[in-house]
Amino acid sequence: MYKLLLCWRYLLTRYLALVCIVSVMLGVATLIVVNSVMAGFSTKLRERLHGLLSDIVIEAHDFQGFANPEGKMALIQSDPFLSQRIEAMTPTLEIFGMIQFNCNGTAIARPVHIIGIDPAGRARVGGFAEHLLLHKGKPSFELSSEARERQHALHPPHRLDRIAAMLLPPPPDDKPAPAPPPSSESPPSTIIIGYAIAHFRAKLNPDTPPEEVRTLAPGDDVIITTIKGHGLNGRELSPVQWRCAVCDYFKSEMSEYDANYVFVPIEELQRLRAMPNRATSIQIRIKDYRDLHAVKERLQALLPAHWELAVHTWEDKQGPLLAAISIEKGILNVLLFMIIAVAGFGILAIFSMIVVEKTRDIGILKALGASNRGVLNIFLSYGLLLGAVGAVLGSAIGTAITIYINEIEQFLTKWTGHELFDRSVYYFNEIPTDLNPGSVLVINLGAVAIAVLFSVLPALRAALLHPVRALRYE
Amino acid sequence: MLDNLPLLAAVNLHKTYRKHAIEVPVLTGVDLEVFVGEFLSIVGSSGSGKSTLLHLLGTLDKPDEGRILLDSERIDNLPAEQRDRLRNETFGFIFQFYHLLPELTTLENVLMPKMIALPVRGWFRQRRSLKQQAIELLDRVGLGHRLHHKPRELSGGEMQRAAIARALINRPRILLADEPTGNLDADKGAEIIRLLRDLNRQDRLTIIMVTHNMEIVGNTDRVVRLVKGRVEEATNGERPALAGWSALPAG
Repeated sequence: MYKLLLCWRYLLTRYLALVCIVSVMLGVATLIVVNSVMAGFSTKLRERLHGLLSDIVIEAHDFQGFANPEGKMALIQSDPFLSQRIEAMTPTLEIFGMIQFNCNGTAIARPVHIIGIDPAGRARVGGFAEHLLLHKGKPSFELSSEARERQHALHPPHRLDRIAAMLLPPPPDDKPAPAPPPSSESPPSTIIIGYAIAHFRAKLNPDTPPEEVRTLAPGDDVIITTIKGHGLNGRELSPVQWRCAVCDYFKSEMSEYDANYVFVPIEELQRLRAMPNRATSIQIRIKDYRDLHAVKERLQALLPAHWELAVHTWEDKQGPLLAAISIEKGILNVLLFMIIAVAGFGILAIFSMIVVEKTRDIGILKALGASNRGVLNIFLSYGLLLGAVGAVLGSAIGTAITIYINEIEQFLTKWTGHELFDRSVYYFNEIPTDLNPGSVLVINLGAVAIAVLFSVLPALRAALLHPVRALRYE
Repeated sequence: MLDNLPLLAAVNLHKTYRKHAIEVPVLTGVDLEVFVGEFLSIVGSSGSGKSTLLHLLGTLDKPDEGRILLDSERIDNLPAEQRDRLRNETFGFIFQFYHLLPELTTLENVLMPKMIALPVRGWFRQRRSLKQQAIELLDRVGLGHRLHHKPRELSGGEMQRAAIARALINRPRILLADEPTGNLDADKGAEIIRLLRDLNRQDRLTIIMVTHNMEIVGNTDRVVRLVKGRVEEATNGERPALAGWSALPAG
């Protein structure tokens, strides 16, 4: 009984010991916050990637793609095993290219990944329609009425050619001018562009946090350049260029995608690239995610080898990124546990001091009949108590910080005027967290174990003090 | 018949302290017998080994040679747990510097030996009656009004009374007092001695007191003098010896 009473009193009266509590608390809080944020990044990234990528992709080995995607989809549908498990399929035609546009008189050109899609089909596979800014959930390449007005203002019928010529870069002097783009088509082609292509974050005023600036409004013109194949088997390549009007934005909050992806109607891309009824991949969504590998294996078996089609799950495609995150988390955890180990050394030092300070009391207790084991237990329980109090406080603080991390970040950004979580760097527009009770428990147990472990030495010293020498200690 | 056997006896005790390489012999063959109900004083100049003798008698330390007998049974070589229990139940200690635990109140200090003796559940089951017992003891030593004060709020005399109450809570058979008045002025010291005398008379509590204050030993039954680690002279005439003081050389 005396052990509990004494530890409790020591806890309340030894202010030095509060340092131990604070160090354990900080260690635990940091570990919880970092773990939650890392787990949040990892979970969210997986979620996002999975949300963007279809479950399974059948890909051609090069950008020339494969013929007759409908036939291949029909073949897959005809397999009873697959037809039961596949929710939706859609062909896409993907190619690299370049986008050009005019922003405040400056010509901007950047590389893009052009994806030709059937909007309704692509929406059924998932990870597309919900990320559209204007036609959320109802993907289409239609221009809204405002966008149409803007188009008209930009291109009054008689000035159309002149303006299109202005938008295009001037041809080099020593070469003949390329064929003029098919700019006079009406109605114009439309395009869904990645949100980050049409927007950037800038610090407009030194005192305010950075703001988002739009460079392309719906209805604005962009020029897309890519290649098309012609000649025998389409092996000879030449550039192809066309003008289109922005009809929507794709905002997945994965900056890699938002900054690089543009979507155009698949039939148009097929036509412009002179590859009718061809696609580069088939996106597949399955009904039950647990069937992922079974479906993949079945598809691999079904598709004849001479078609040279590869079957990948979304995890295969993003494997290195996902693995990197989990390795990063592991290393970070090891490093952060060092913080608690540092707290442990603090406990060792402070406990040693407390044992010296309490030498006489230890002598008294022994004179009153306390055993060595009893004295040992006083200090071990004291360590346990400090560790536990620190861990509980740390958990509370860590959890609170984790829950309010975005509010805290906003406050700090406002207060310091410096953006802590730069949204243009990260994939997410807010800091994702994933508070896992299991890992909180492990962190707590680890912290308490370290606290007890580091109090063993001073506690042993206290227990082995000779009572007479302890009583005479001045 | 039983009264003729000593309650506590020391036989040929030797104890040497080692400081670095130097050996300092403290006790060099002490023989002593203490009888039930006796109030014995051990006197001697400082460094004569009085406190060491007391620590050996109370099993706080072990002799290098010799034996200590309680009811004719050897206790100096008992295993640690049994010696811990003896210190808790059979012996009560009081010290010159009171040695109360500063974090605890007077009442908690007095209850400390009980808490050491009992496991947590036993303590909680008996808590009420034990507290009552401690309060009665504190009343008896005149500290009934200081139950919830911390030691630093008490005077020297009060602290020593609290220490006496603590020593008595487990109803020990022998009270070992190490210079109990050494830190008190003459009046307060005399009060403490009177209190010990009363306890000795009323409860037949055996008391062994170490002191170098010749003025207070007159009130005790018998005086033993330690010189150079030996009992030089003991006035162990008829028990209870009343004239211990007169048998000593003046000063």
